Amino acid sequence: MADADEDAVRGTTVEATQIEVDLSDETQDFRLLNHLNFLTDTSSSSLPRRGEKDFEPNPTEFQADVLSASRQAMHNALAHPRLHNPKNQVIAIYAPEGPPPPPPVPPGQDPGKTSGRGASVSPDACVYVPSPKGQYFKNMGQADRKGVIWLLPEEALYLLERGSLDIRWPTSITGGTVEEGSEEEELSIPMSLQAAYACFIGRGGLTLERFTVFSSLKRIGYAISRAPGWDDSSSVEDSADEDSRNAYTQPVTRGAGLAGILGSIFNWINDPKSTSSTAAGPVIGYGIHRNYSDIYKKLAQIPWHDPTTLPTRNPLSTKPPYRVILHVFKPSTFIKKSALPPPDFRIAVINTREATTIPTLPELSALLESTPLDPPKGEKMDRQMYLRLRHGYRNVILAVVDQGVTSFLRVADVAFGRERLYESVGGSLGPKKAGNFRKKKR
Amino acid sequence: MESTPTLPIPISYVSGRYLLFSIDAVTYLRREHNICGVLIGTLPQIPQQNVFLGLPLELMPEEARVLVDKGVACIVDEAKAHDGMRSLLEEDRRQYLRDLESQGQLATRILADRKDQLREQSLKEIDEKKAKGLAAKAAKAAQAAADAQIAASSAPASTEKDESSSIFAAEDEMSSLSRTTGTSTPAPQQTMGITPTTSYPPLPHPVSSSGQYLPKPKVPLSYPLFAHLHSRGYFLSPGLRFGCQYVAYPGDPLRFHSHFVVVSAEWDQEMDLMDIVNGGRLGTGVKKGFLLGGPQKRRDEVESEADRIETVRTFSIEWAGM
Repeated sequence: MADADEDAVRGTTVEATQIEVDLSDETQDFRLLNHLNFLTDTSSSSLPRRGEKDFEPNPTEFQADVLSASRQAMHNALAHPRLHNPKNQVIAIYAPEGPPPPPPVPPGQDPGKTSGRGASVSPDACVYVPSPKGQYFKNMGQADRKGVIWLLPEEALYLLERGSLDIRWPTSITGGTVEEGSEEEELSIPMSLQAAYACFIGRGGLTLERFTVFSSLKRIGYAISRAPGWDDSSSVEDSADEDSRNAYTQPVTRGAGLAGILGSIFNWINDPKSTSSTAAGPVIGYGIHRNYSDIYKKLAQIPWHDPTTLPTRNPLSTKPPYRVILHVFKPSTFIKKSALPPPDFRIAVINTREATTIPTLPELSALLESTPLDPPKGEKMDRQMYLRLRHGYRNVILAVVDQGVTSFLRVADVAFGRERLYESVGGSLGPKKAGNFRKKKR
Repeated sequence: MESTPTLPIPISYVSGRYLLFSIDAVTYLRREHNICGVLIGTLPQIPQQNVFLGLPLELMPEEARVLVDKGVACIVDEAKAHDGMRSLLEEDRRQYLRDLESQGQLATRILADRKDQLREQSLKEIDEKKAKGLAAKAAKAAQAAADAQIAASSAPASTEKDESSSIFAAEDEMSSLSRTTGTSTPAPQQTMGITPTTSYPPLPHPVSSSGQYLPKPKVPLSYPLFAHLHSRGYFLSPGLRFGCQYVAYPGDPLRFHSHFVVVSAEWDQEMDLMDIVNGGRLGTGVKKGFLLGGPQKRRDEVESEADRIETVRTFSIEWAGM
């Protein structure tokens, strides 16, 4: 009946063919999930192409059907249960009190040496795995003396959420008759996803934003550890650090500087006929100049910021949330849990509802100073100036979480003053790409 | 799917954030109240990607507030509610564990059935290949494929695998029927463990049990504009990633592109002209309108936020000649 009309309305579909779209930027059509036969073959499941969307709602049944199919697909995908095959089920137990305190150090023994295996269980850990098996404990959890693995709340929640861990309520909470050891496990109640969120978020400094960033990186394969700055309340009272923070208001710059310029003006006042006077003669002074480099060097009047001369400050002397709280390792980095290598990325997590403005220069600089110097290295960087500029001398990643939507930004401290263009005349400058000071990472 | 959950829907308040865990509530609010939220959890069936995410659903305080004001939802302190685990009755606990076990058995059966189907299918494929007169070499490859498929279905298949390979070794005269009957005697399987999504049950439904809810969510100054657009049928999502406060969709974002990038302002707030130019250029550049709006009354001029919502005016700015 209304076929002609419907076709006409359907024709208004906007064809948006964009290249390089980040799939996670947009709400995806869950119908695409149906095409993924993930139950049989999880290894080769590539992500589907994004679906076509309509411009605006119209009263056609066709559109209503498509929408309802999309919603049904979404419903089905979200309703998928978390099942544990008895063959590879890993059971963990929630310990609301945290790990038992380490036994007191026997007198006469060096407190640093008693550690051995497992003295390093974090007091924030709250879930233990009596018989750990499987791949997940390679870069998560800390073993105590008895070989029991303790998980931090974010690790436990992540594993439970992906359906890889079966966390149980301790019988001390749910009560119940503990019948003959082995029966105990049968009677303990599995923790629901909801219960896990209720118990783990807010525990030991774990905010929902931090967990969102943690799990989104974890899902795509990175290994993550807490950085020393995790605890917001920890700070450095050291007076030396206070001094350096105050000193910060005077940015370290190189070049002639204001004093240099003033100095030359004073010189001119004192001795207006001096050949080195700037006001009465050429900036570079009289005389014979045989070399452009020397001339340019003398022309360099504008002070510039040199990140390599900055003192590295204690990560704890920064102000939350502009503070590194997560250390991230690429999947290719070899991880030994007891001796972590230097991280590949340092991440600060920012909640947009609590920090509504962009960070101030002091906040950002303090954050950058708390990261180690990471100058551009490698053959490619040596050749291409713009790569060097983009890489910078210190860098940090800001994970900005807006109500569950995360954006990652890489902030680098760039030394434009170190790149002397006049010295590289004739040399290759690399492809002329924009050397952005701040670039969006994804 | 067209079911309506018990109203009001409890919104979990966890450490200062508003979350939904019940899939029925999520679908219902999306369908009937244009509330999308943001999915933040891992999908257990495809855990190694960030494109499709699962429960829980994070709600903006604005979304939670709209729902509470409508009387559709209430805010429940989830940490407190879970203290109820301490006072669980022994009988309820046993009953709950029995329920979980039967669910687990059901899941085990379903998975076993599906596995059998896959087996039959692959065996059929092998037969077809053989019917085409392929050489023994090809049959071997197919057998490898079948084995791989069985292994991939992550079932306790070691004994069956032996069976199937012996069948294949026993040569191709056997009919497909005898093969399927040969494998249709599954070893007694253990029950699947289940991690439930919500805690109700075993906990009693929070709405019926206590009736004590947390106060209405605190909302930012932009709330009147949010509520205004929501009342006009728009679906709103957090928009910082797109350079605005909210992204407004004309319908469900599952099916429609957004039309507006939304920024809220107070009525007498001074604005930098550059912000308007930036917003206009940004919006037009991505084929959307730049929507600027806000209530005409300040918070100190009215009794409640609801009065501000009625005074909202909106303006759309488009960059012409681009």
